[in-house]
Amino acid sequence: MGAEQAWLLAAVPAGMFVVLSFFGRYLPRKGDFLGVLAIGTSFVLFFFVLYDFLHTGETHWPIVKDIKWSNIGDFRLRMGIFVDQITIVMFGVVTTVSLMVNIFSVGYMKGEARYWWFFAVLQLFAASMLMLVMADNLLLLYISWELVGVCSFLLIGFYWEKRSATEAAKKAFITTRIGDVGLLIGIILLWKATGTFNIQGIIHQAQAGEIGHTYLFVTMCFVFLGAMGKSAQVPFHVWLPDAMEGPTPVSALIHAATMVVAGVYLVARLLPLFEVADGTLVIVTIVGLVTALLSGFMALTQTDIKKVLAYSTVGQLGFMFVALGSGNPSAAMFHLTTHAFFKALLFLAAGSVIIGTHHNQEMDKLGGLWKKLPITGTTFLVGSLALAGVVPLAGFWSKDEVLHASRSWDGGWALIILGFAAIVTAFYSTRLFVRTFLGKPNDEHVYEQTRETGLAMTLPLVFLAILSVVSGLVIFHGVGRAIGFPGGITEFVFLDQPERYHVDWGLAGGSFVIATVGIFFGAWVYWGGSLARSTRMAEFQPGVYTMLQHKFYFDELYQGVVDRGVLGFSYIVSWFDRYVVNDTGVDGSAQMTGYTGFLLKYLQTGKVPNYAMAIALGVVLLAVAGLVTRG
Amino acid sequence: MVPLENYLALSAILFSLGVYGVLARRNAVLILMSVELMLNAVSINFVAFAVYLDPGKITGAIFAVFVITVAAAEVGLALAIVIRLFRNRATSNVDEAAIMKW
Repeated sequence: MGAEQAWLLAAVPAGMFVVLSFFGRYLPRKGDFLGVLAIGTSFVLFFFVLYDFLHTGETHWPIVKDIKWSNIGDFRLRMGIFVDQITIVMFGVVTTVSLMVNIFSVGYMKGEARYWWFFAVLQLFAASMLMLVMADNLLLLYISWELVGVCSFLLIGFYWEKRSATEAAKKAFITTRIGDVGLLIGIILLWKATGTFNIQGIIHQAQAGEIGHTYLFVTMCFVFLGAMGKSAQVPFHVWLPDAMEGPTPVSALIHAATMVVAGVYLVARLLPLFEVADGTLVIVTIVGLVTALLSGFMALTQTDIKKVLAYSTVGQLGFMFVALGSGNPSAAMFHLTTHAFFKALLFLAAGSVIIGTHHNQEMDKLGGLWKKLPITGTTFLVGSLALAGVVPLAGFWSKDEVLHASRSWDGGWALIILGFAAIVTAFYSTRLFVRTFLGKPNDEHVYEQTRETGLAMTLPLVFLAILSVVSGLVIFHGVGRAIGFPGGITEFVFLDQPERYHVDWGLAGGSFVIATVGIFFGAWVYWGGSLARSTRMAEFQPGVYTMLQHKFYFDELYQGVVDRGVLGFSYIVSWFDRYVVNDTGVDGSAQMTGYTGFLLKYLQTGKVPNYAMAIALGVVLLAVAGLVTRG
Repeated sequence: MVPLENYLALSAILFSLGVYGVLARRNAVLILMSVELMLNAVSINFVAFAVYLDPGKITGAIFAVFVITVAAAEVGLALAIVIRLFRNRATSNVDEAAIMKW
């Protein structure tokens, strides 16, 4: 199979979605094996595509294949696939994580209602994301983009019997929709300026200077709005922590592979446009920095293990956007890849904890689970260390690249803020691990009933843990060559400037210090599961602590805006509707017709001579009028 | 030859008499007779114009015959209605048949 047939990667799961959604409930085991099989096929196909791609020769990259879709007037719409290095990396991430999540779900979702539907939507989720990353035009990309949104809505609200789940699903859908409108406006503006939806065509025209400067700046701001919504950047981050209402495998999928990285991918794909539009990269960087910092603080006070992970995802996405804003997409894609592995691992491990403890996910109920959950605990430790950025795990190398990229801003302010965010990250990941797995059990009853989970759940954990350890090493060019890439993964992603990517040992040392400081501080505060020190810290500045607990009042702010602004405006609109449109317009015209009829009905006497007189007078009148006007 | 104006004057006088009859009379039969007068006035116009404008053809005469035919049918129908009215109300005064109102 050649790389031109890469569309099969998305077609197989999409077809399985149809099969499962119609026949899933009648199949043996409710069709879960078919779901695993479909995404497994995509996973295998990925290697065929990769092999073909590597042996096509660099001169033939990227691989493009499109078909005529429709002609509207003079406009010819072509749809197709565009496979380059970024697409290949995304293929790898999406298929690997999706396969692991599918296998894990077999164990996690056992006995749940609508089991078959869960697997069906997982397939559609993976399929839309795969289509998103290989779309060669913005229209197809937007379609997949919305499909991803719909799937996240369906899966976050999977337990729709729970009110909080439906609320969270709505929140996710509406929040990302605000960004999506921006993206749609951006796409329309780009089409208006260039007359094409083809991404490469638009980039060529923009680089040739055919799009006005201010025009492009405004357009790219709109496009970035879409990326911010999807990738949960401040101030659109509010939906992501609430999305924890969904089943845990879904959280893993959304956070690692399918949903939130779409924004990063979009910016990476359109980065040449952002580079042409002066000033947008500063916006991207600042948004990333603010997000990385704020989310770190918000994670500090969370007690739900999944919510801590959710905020850490928001922060890591902020890291990626800083790398993109610094004009270094390879660092962003690298961090995206390693983050996908260790964040999927962390979420699946958290899911394993939840199942193992019979649905407990509050830290106050957990603690000391290390002995009870050896495999989950070990893999969770690997994930936490990777998140904190400890040598030589994956997170260390990619975070190092991001820090390196952020140095391109004069004055080093980006680097300093990111470094601080990294310390906070190390701190809360330590807190998360220590309070969940070490110390004494906080709840003896929960501790007693805890059992290690089955093979379907531990196997993906182990696989992802291995990836979380080794996937960072591909940064060394030798490792990349040994496994068949022309260079390291960074060279594989962006061949045009391979010399830019190398390990900066000075920065690596600094990054090592950062991680160590964060971890030791976290361990010092929370060691043994004791909360004495952290309570003292909270009481030292109660105002700050309350602010963090309320997550900087973002939700309250939005609620206030909705209550005052939207409801106030709808009050005015409803007044206008009631008194102007309804009473004056609709009822008013009816009443006027009625009153006129009331007056005019006396003309209808029923006497024939009256009518005859009226006719005769009319004729005379018309005759006179005719004579007068004729002159 | 009698000039056209004389025919038109006759026709106008006849028509006005008819209109007066329709407006002034209350008896349904008399109203019908007045309507016949108006129709005849129109027929005279047809024939007179036909002779003066296009002497070779008889278009106007054919129209007059049609008008007479239609008038006959109309009077037949109208008299039937008048008879029904008289049976029901013992009057042929149209002022008293005024129930078709609001």
